[in-house]
Amino acid sequence: MSMLVSGTALLLAGMGLFAYDLYSFRVGTVRDLGIKAQIIGSNSISAVLFDDSRSAETTLSALQSAPHVMSAEIYTPDGVAFAGYRRDRGQSLPPPPAIPTGQAEVYRFQNGEVGLVRSITFQGKPVATVYMRSDLGAMHARERDFALIVATVFLMSLLAAMWMSSSTRRSIAEPIVRLAETAQIVLREKNYSIRAPMNGERNELAVLISSFNEMLAQIQERDAALEKSRDHLEQQVQERTAQLNVANADLEAFSYSVSHDLRAPLRHIAGFSQILSEDYGPKMDPEAQRHLDRILSGVKNMSRLIEDLLKMAQIGRKELVRVTTDLNLLLKDVIADLRPEFEGRQIDWRIGGLSPVECDAGLVKQVFANLISNAIKYSRRREVAVIEAGQVEEDGASVIFVRDNGAGFDERYADKLFGVFQRLHRAEDFEGTGVGLSTVQRIIRKHGGEIWAKSEVNKGATFFFVLAEKRQGLTRAKAAGAPAGA
Amino acid sequence: MGIPSVQGQHAKPTEYEVKATYLYNFSRFVEWPAQGVQVQSDTFAICVLGDNPFGPALNATVAQETIAGKSVVAKQISAPQDAVNCRVLFISSSEAKRLKEILTNLGAASVLTVSDLPRFTQRGGMVQFVLEGDRVRFEVNSAIAARAGLTMSSELLKVAVNVRRSVQLGD
Repeated sequence: MSMLVSGTALLLAGMGLFAYDLYSFRVGTVRDLGIKAQIIGSNSISAVLFDDSRSAETTLSALQSAPHVMSAEIYTPDGVAFAGYRRDRGQSLPPPPAIPTGQAEVYRFQNGEVGLVRSITFQGKPVATVYMRSDLGAMHARERDFALIVATVFLMSLLAAMWMSSSTRRSIAEPIVRLAETAQIVLREKNYSIRAPMNGERNELAVLISSFNEMLAQIQERDAALEKSRDHLEQQVQERTAQLNVANADLEAFSYSVSHDLRAPLRHIAGFSQILSEDYGPKMDPEAQRHLDRILSGVKNMSRLIEDLLKMAQIGRKELVRVTTDLNLLLKDVIADLRPEFEGRQIDWRIGGLSPVECDAGLVKQVFANLISNAIKYSRRREVAVIEAGQVEEDGASVIFVRDNGAGFDERYADKLFGVFQRLHRAEDFEGTGVGLSTVQRIIRKHGGEIWAKSEVNKGATFFFVLAEKRQGLTRAKAAGAPAGA
Repeated sequence: MGIPSVQGQHAKPTEYEVKATYLYNFSRFVEWPAQGVQVQSDTFAICVLGDNPFGPALNATVAQETIAGKSVVAKQISAPQDAVNCRVLFISSSEAKRLKEILTNLGAASVLTVSDLPRFTQRGGMVQFVLEGDRVRFEVNSAIAARAGLTMSSELLKVAVNVRRSVQLGD
């Protein structure tokens, strides 16, 4: 850029000088030719006056030493050619320009030559006119010389400028380029241990490079710290998970063994109560008979509770066997199995539209058995119970639902629904162990799915669940469908 | 050309028309001494001694002309002693017989002598017309002019066909 500017300036200056020189040279050429004409004329006065053209021609022949003079002609005042000189033979003579009145001289540039006519006076009287022509060879030679000089100067300045610019480049551009290259390598390889090379100079560039390097060092430090803390976190998570797994396994083993071990004494109580009732029942008074019945019913309840708890504990230990399952068929079986529970009731079943799912059929059957059983139980005060089971698509996930028009529950306590032994209804109103929904949740979570519920008191309840592991869509569906949480 | 002219284009000037012009022109290339010429100070006389071969040409030539601020006049004289008042004296061929007498009479007077007479410059004359074909030329004797106090310009000598520099008179 600076080279362009200085080059242009130089060229313009050169052209200006050139133009001025040409102009002054032109003026000089005309003056020189005028002087020559005057000298020739002065030396030819007597020759003209005494009609001695040979003498005039002798004078004219002196022009041989002036190589640019093409021709010289002396005319008498009458306009008659008197004597002449031609540099080149056979050359035709263009007509001379006319001298305007009151002037001694006139010149004309034409066809690459200058023609000049000068009037010669002697003792105040015109004696002759001299017409001289000069080629512009001198001028062209000068133009050539000048162009050569300008070109040489131009070339030398260009070389000087190039040398200067290359030295500027060495000290400024190259370090910047190196810095940019380093930055790109760092960016590409994400390698913050690279450092930009210092050029050993003490200027602003060195400051820039060292700042850049310092920045890299800081990033590297922070990177290392980040990695360290991430490793630490991972380790912590692993530790906690392991602890949790151990605790979980312990808990399951404990609950299994407790349930299992509880069965034996319970069987004794049940067995001996039964014997007591059969063998001594008739001998007992009605009061004792009632107490015994109470014991038997309590044992029955406890037995069912233990059964349920054992089932739940088994889920934790069991490996999933995933097969493609037709949920519609599964539901039919469940309803058929539950038939004794709704004998004599009027129920409007709306079942269908469920897609086949990859799942553990046995466990999912337990899920439906629990949910449908609940629906039957909590809708029994309706004259006509409506129980639906189907599927809706929410955010790309298939959400399965079971709905009834029963008692429903207060959503404020929805988070308690799936807790073990947690019940929202009194046992006097609706019997139950408080283990069913907890078992359902465990099965669904084991499939990688989630369950939640929506309800209002006396307006029925809807349980939603997904089995697939599409957690994102599911989470949003949950957020939209169950603001109180499930 | 700056000075248009029709003269000379039509008719070639006659020999004596040329000579009349030359007679006037000679005086433009000769310097006379400042003093010593007893002539009227306001005229410059060109005299013809003897028969006038110029006819009206001389009068025509000098008409309106001046030399060194003096108007040029042409005079016809017959007595050699009248010649001392002239600046230029043309000695006509009719005076051949008494040439010696005329020149002697002039002595060292500052009069430029011109003639057609043969060997004039060898016999004490200063300028002599000669013919080269039909061209009028002249020869000079600068030594004789110098003896009379006249200085001939080098320009004049340059165009003379012959320049003598001797006062030794032949016959």
